[in-house]
Amino acid sequence: MYNKILCVDDDPITLMLCKKVIEKSDFSKQIDTAHNGEDAIKYFDNLKNNLEKDKNIILPQLMFLDLNMPIMGGWEFLDIFSENKYHDFFPELKVIVLSSTIDPRDIEKSKSYSMVIDFLSKPITKEMLYSFSNNTQ
Amino acid sequence: MKSFFYKSIVIYFLIVLILALLSHYYIINFITANNQLSYSLFFCILLIICSPIVLITIIKLNNKKNNDSITNLKRINKELYESNERYDIVAKATSDTIWDWDIKTGGFIWNKGIQGIFGYKKEDVRENLQWWFEKIHPEDSLKMSVKLYSFIEQKTEKWQDYYRFMCADGTYKYVFDRGFLVMDDDRNVVRMIGAIQDITKQKEEEQRLKLLETVITQTKDTVIITEISDIEKELPKIVFVNPAFTKMTGFKSNEVIGKNANILMNKFSVRNDIKKLAEVLKKKEEFTFEALNKRKNNEQYWVNLTMIPITNKDNQHSHWISIQRDISVEKEREKEREHLISELTQNNKDLKQFSYITSHNLRAPLSNLTGLLNLVEDIPIENQELKEIISGFSKSTHQLNETINDLVNVIIIKDSPSIQKEGIVIKDVFENVFNQLSFLIGLKKPIIKMDLNKAQIVFLNKSYIESILLNLMSNSLRYCDPNKQLKISIASKKNGTETIITFKDNGIGIDLERNKDKVFGLYQRFHDYPDSKGLGLYLVKSQVESMGGTISIDSKVGVGTTFTITFKNNKDV
Repeated sequence: MYNKILCVDDDPITLMLCKKVIEKSDFSKQIDTAHNGEDAIKYFDNLKNNLEKDKNIILPQLMFLDLNMPIMGGWEFLDIFSENKYHDFFPELKVIVLSSTIDPRDIEKSKSYSMVIDFLSKPITKEMLYSFSNNTQ
Repeated sequence: MKSFFYKSIVIYFLIVLILALLSHYYIINFITANNQLSYSLFFCILLIICSPIVLITIIKLNNKKNNDSITNLKRINKELYESNERYDIVAKATSDTIWDWDIKTGGFIWNKGIQGIFGYKKEDVRENLQWWFEKIHPEDSLKMSVKLYSFIEQKTEKWQDYYRFMCADGTYKYVFDRGFLVMDDDRNVVRMIGAIQDITKQKEEEQRLKLLETVITQTKDTVIITEISDIEKELPKIVFVNPAFTKMTGFKSNEVIGKNANILMNKFSVRNDIKKLAEVLKKKEEFTFEALNKRKNNEQYWVNLTMIPITNKDNQHSHWISIQRDISVEKEREKEREHLISELTQNNKDLKQFSYITSHNLRAPLSNLTGLLNLVEDIPIENQELKEIISGFSKSTHQLNETINDLVNVIIIKDSPSIQKEGIVIKDVFENVFNQLSFLIGLKKPIIKMDLNKAQIVFLNKSYIESILLNLMSNSLRYCDPNKQLKISIASKKNGTETIITFKDNGIGIDLERNKDKVFGLYQRFHDYPDSKGLGLYLVKSQVESMGGTISIDSKVGVGTTFTITFKNNKDV
């Protein structure tokens, strides 16, 4: 069971669904959300600041990331995140792309980011989370 | 000779007689009687002496004359021989066949040419006029004989005519015949002598050239011939243009012939290419290029130009032949086509993008619905009506999801021309398919006959072939005849470079007469079954074709359906 995960999606219903499924399957103790890539960057900036003050704060270990979002999409987020060395601050963070895209090129593209560990099709289900935690353990 | 002999005898006789008479007269008148006898003897002896002298003189004279005539004869003979020889040599050199027609007797004599040139044997040649006329081509003989006889009638000196003369093998040669008349002192025609010249080769060449000329004059391509100038730096002079040139450029031939080619060039406005042109012209090699030219009326047109250097007998470059074609229409078409292609490519790109976005936008809320329904499943519902509503809601959602997934698959198949292939055991694929359809199979209990030993492995994309066979199998199970035991037979075999899989059932079948073009179409449904979407066969065909295969159907209503799928064995395809 994770301590904290972050869900990034522009669709509030998807976010609600994520929260509920994660809660029901006891996947994580805490669930944070962001509405798009920019929102997520702000979230990490904020965390960075807090980290300087208190090194013991709980960091998200896993992140569900949608690809198609307004303002800043999933790809742009991944680019900024890796270019600006956010990874140095959050070395533990892994990303699962959770999208309804069907473009095979997207799946290929996701493999080029080292922190992306999986590409899942919506909707998120309990079975998905079970098999994921079984695989990682 | 004889006359001379008699003449000599007479002269001798007369001389001797005169001498005898003179001596007798002399003796009687001037000699006394007693001396007469001795004088008589003296004259007798004189006569006897004179006689052989006269005789010898006469014989000598005669001999001299004879000698003269023999020398003369020899000379004449020699001349005659030489002239004959000359005549033969000349006839041989000119390859002429000489004939000699004795008009009075009708005799007709040929020289050896009739054998050598026309191939007749000596015994074939009949020496009369008729034989000559027989051998003249029927189309020419009338015209020729009319001309000939009117010539003889008018007694003009020379005659000549063209006609076809038959050879020994029955073929005809074109000949040029020239003759002249031989007349006696009273200007009566006695003979005619002629010489036949074989001009078949010239005639054929002439016809060939005429034919070649028509090519140049009749062709739609413009032909320009220019002559290289001896003066350096001077551009070639135009010596010929064909009618197509006038049609293309608007310039008449007399407006350009003899003029310097650069006049043409300026007017042709190939200024952009003129540097390039001058360079290649210097190289004296054949070359082709395209240029935008101007007609006489200043209208612009695209031309395709080929320049071919021509050499003379001494292998020196002497002429250029330029063949030009107006390609404005083609250029225009090419432009249009390019435009159309780019437009279509853009459209296609847009549509693809559109379909991805649409499917994404459909899938996003749909996945929410599915996810929410998954959550609802875990919540116990007391209200029976709500339970029913939720159940209907869930069914519809799943149906919608399936349809969208199928469509998404189609988009992916259509968009990925190169898919990964691997060696696949057909039997394993079927086992997978049976597992997925275990519920339907348990329900319909079909008799399945499989014969997959002749071709066990195919080289295909695994998920595609699985989807293909799943679709076919579920079709067979769904559209079975309720009054019959369902039988499905599946077979595979190799045929040369191909693997053929046949899939046969005894189900309700499809009316191919009515639906031939629609069977594999998108959203085509042939039976009113609740869970039929009309997508399966479209998907099957798309997947088969994306792997370079073909699929065909044979079906009869009430009898059953057979699908035949053919794949190439080759790994590269």
